[in-house]
Amino acid sequence: MSDQAVETQDLVREYKGGVKAVDGVTLNVASGGIFGFLGPNGAGKSTMVRMLTTLLKPTSGTAIVAGYDVAKHPDKVRRRIGVALQDAAIDPYMTGRELLRLQGVLHGLPRAECRARAESLLERVDLVDAADRRVGTYSGGMRRRLDLALSLVHEPLVLFLDEPTTGLDPVSRVTLWEEVRRLNREHGTTVFLTTQYLEEADQLADRVAIIDGGRIVADGSPSELKAKIGFPMLSVVAADGSTPDDVSRVLATFGEIVPGAVERGAAVRLPGGSTAMADAVRALDEAGVRFAEVDLTEPSLDDVFLASTGRHLGADDDVSE
Amino acid sequence: MSAAALATRQTAALAWRSIITTLRLPQAWFPALFFPLVLMAIFTASFGGAPGNIPGFPPIRGFLDFAVCGAIVQGVLIAGTTAGAAFATDIEHGFFDRLVASPTSRVSILTGRLGASVALGVVQALLFLSIAAIFGARVEGGFWGIVVVVIIAATFAAAVGGLGVYLAIRTGSGEAVQGMFPLFLALLFFSSAFFPLATMTGWYHAVAAVNPISYLVESMRDEVLGGATIWTALTGIGIAAGLAAISISASAITLRRRLRVAS
Repeated sequence: MSDQAVETQDLVREYKGGVKAVDGVTLNVASGGIFGFLGPNGAGKSTMVRMLTTLLKPTSGTAIVAGYDVAKHPDKVRRRIGVALQDAAIDPYMTGRELLRLQGVLHGLPRAECRARAESLLERVDLVDAADRRVGTYSGGMRRRLDLALSLVHEPLVLFLDEPTTGLDPVSRVTLWEEVRRLNREHGTTVFLTTQYLEEADQLADRVAIIDGGRIVADGSPSELKAKIGFPMLSVVAADGSTPDDVSRVLATFGEIVPGAVERGAAVRLPGGSTAMADAVRALDEAGVRFAEVDLTEPSLDDVFLASTGRHLGADDDVSE
Repeated sequence: MSAAALATRQTAALAWRSIITTLRLPQAWFPALFFPLVLMAIFTASFGGAPGNIPGFPPIRGFLDFAVCGAIVQGVLIAGTTAGAAFATDIEHGFFDRLVASPTSRVSILTGRLGASVALGVVQALLFLSIAAIFGARVEGGFWGIVVVVIIAATFAAAVGGLGVYLAIRTGSGEAVQGMFPLFLALLFFSSAFFPLATMTGWYHAVAAVNPISYLVESMRDEVLGGATIWTALTGIGIAAGLAAISISASAITLRRRLRVAS
């Protein structure tokens, strides 16, 4: 495999009626990393994954996955990728062990190896005790872990995870993150994951691309992206005797005020970063403005999303549920 | 491993999966056994005196001998509908995508499902014949008669399975496939599966007389009731094989079209 796990050039997928779910995406994902494909519902993430995993033909453009063109050599791509799609497609009437062995046979592994791989994967995703139970009795987190194990039976070079933690509780989510990290670290598997959760992209991915309306609107490491949109935000809450306007008037001399960011105070984007923070606090003091709280926050991926699309990533609300 | 050997292994594995998921889900296998057997029992109790008394009935030992082949065909039809619905559920729930995104040969996706239908058809035919035998029925054709009945049942199971897969791909919905069932049942009732053509009149007779299922069941019945020849056997096998050829070709074409549009 080349040093690129995924390379796309002007990839387009147009559905009937002319709707372009993916509209000219050019993307390079280096081998060995965890790539986060972030976007709201309907942004084109799943369509993109379906094209990269040979389930959907691109309308135009090219996609090279694990060294092969998905349109010209889909079979070669299929041998080299692992796929865990949204809504874990798992037979409720079969057991975890049976499904893992079946997956091994489908990948053409010798019988003995099917068995051995099934056992080691069950152990790895902590499903040994549930191995002979029907999948219908599994919890959501257990299903996702089995789904992950199923996608690893043939030791793929590139692993595609489509919204692997959507609908999971926070504990199961963190368990799955750890498993993905370990997989990447210990086996060098490149991971291409889509998510609508900023936190997930931020926590897991060493590179993130943000997709909106079928187009890539930002691309880089989480810290690069945050740095690009800017400056950390200084929030100051006014104390008794001073009004938010007093605070705002002073802060405005240090940068651009962020309207509505602080309820009983004001916030400003500080071009000077933390150095400027000391100056700002001193200025407030000298102007006789009384304040209760001062807080400096680094930009989040939501700020990146906001800056790129003019909207908040609404789906992120789900995380706190 | 050669491509053919791999495809064979994948077919066997997928057939095995279809069979065990059917057996583990009572609502998948129960109707295919229960309804035909109940119908067979009711008919036998209702028309036990028919042979010899109602004009048009062939000379037979008992009504059960007459009814068992219709029951087998009905059971195969129900099982095939369930198999089609299961295939549609695989599409709906993403198991199909998992197969397509893996190096599973495209042929195995179809042959795996059909292989399971054929295997279940064989079991069903033998089971129904055994139950009928317990209650006094006898296959006049002996061992080879049983073989012919089983071959026709198995081939017809492939035909119905192919139709199920075709409908599954076209509709992509298990409920839609299951919803077609009354139509299949009508096809069965508008045939000589349960009563001989000679007892029918008017348009009903006209429909049953051109319904291939009539001749398929009759050739099975010849084996049970006696009077079968190599030609009656070949007629039944030929009809089942013809239906299978049509439905499997249709399902293969729709599957290929779906995969082409998709991948």
